[in-house]
Amino acid sequence: MADEEFQLDEDEELSLLETLDHVLDRGLVIAGEVKIAVADVDLIYLGLNLLLGSVETVDRVLGERELRVEQLRAHSAADVSRGEEPDEAR
Amino acid sequence: MNLYVYCLCEESPEPAAEWPAGVDGAAVRLLSFGRLSAVVSEAGEQAAAITDENVLAHSRVTAAALARETPLPFRFGTRATPERLAEYVSANEAALTAALARVRGCVEMSVKLLEDSREEKRSEVASQNSELESQNSVVETAEGGRGTAFLLAKRREMLGGEQARRRAEELAAWLAAGVAGLARETSVRVRPAGAIALSAAHLVERARVAEYRARLRALGAGRPGLRLLTSGPWPPYSFGEVKAEARP
Repeated sequence: MADEEFQLDEDEELSLLETLDHVLDRGLVIAGEVKIAVADVDLIYLGLNLLLGSVETVDRVLGERELRVEQLRAHSAADVSRGEEPDEAR
Repeated sequence: MNLYVYCLCEESPEPAAEWPAGVDGAAVRLLSFGRLSAVVSEAGEQAAAITDENVLAHSRVTAAALARETPLPFRFGTRATPERLAEYVSANEAALTAALARVRGCVEMSVKLLEDSREEKRSEVASQNSELESQNSVVETAEGGRGTAFLLAKRREMLGGEQARRRAEELAAWLAAGVAGLARETSVRVRPAGAIALSAAHLVERARVAEYRARLRALGAGRPGLRLLTSGPWPPYSFGEVKAEARP
């Protein structure tokens, strides 16, 4: 199991999605004062779509990251079998 | 004049050496209401647009407040005139003070549990195969008209939803037991969407954040097919609910 952990700034795309998840959907509201101007699209509707989109993006980004890690491991293993030192930065 | 409102603090914290730039690049400042202070910036006539820059600006300002003490964050896009804000704080002072006491010394940590899509696909295929076998036997014994197909599809949908709900409940119980003693409070959303089975927020004492992260890592180690996406610390977006008094 991959334990994905990030701080803000660590992974820009995931950080933005997590931020959207928090600030658009939660927090104090002064009745009647929250009004977001995006072509008259209702905030809740827009927020839901962003969240649904974000779920797919989170899944894709994590999948791509796992693939990169697997490729890095495969390269390292190949290097070791050829008697070379693994290069972490590759 | 309109104000954009980021968060409420228990008392006037020491003026920040420098607040980050606010929404639309506006200068951020504190506005005192006696025992409570609001972190605000001036806003124009137009409501804030949802852009990456504005969302991140809102988040940076509330994070800067969190670095000093735990605030009650407002939802992105909250605007009010100074008079309306004063009226809101005054009418809800007791509830706001109680909410601030509830989160004092704590931060919000978030965790999303994602079913590994490869595992999920394997399970879906197995489930579909089993369902197809079941359908075939039904079609053999009943007339396979449009009505039957519709009802079978409906049944499949209901079974899938029920399975997902049971799975999410099982995961919620597993997670709750795992963070017992570490999370002062928990807010759970079961099966919010797609691959995410569960989204939870935990109210954790600042001093125990490292312990919380270590606990989650250890928890996940024995759950193949499940991924944990953790983030934080956040201002307590999920724990600052205040039932606002009706506007006079």
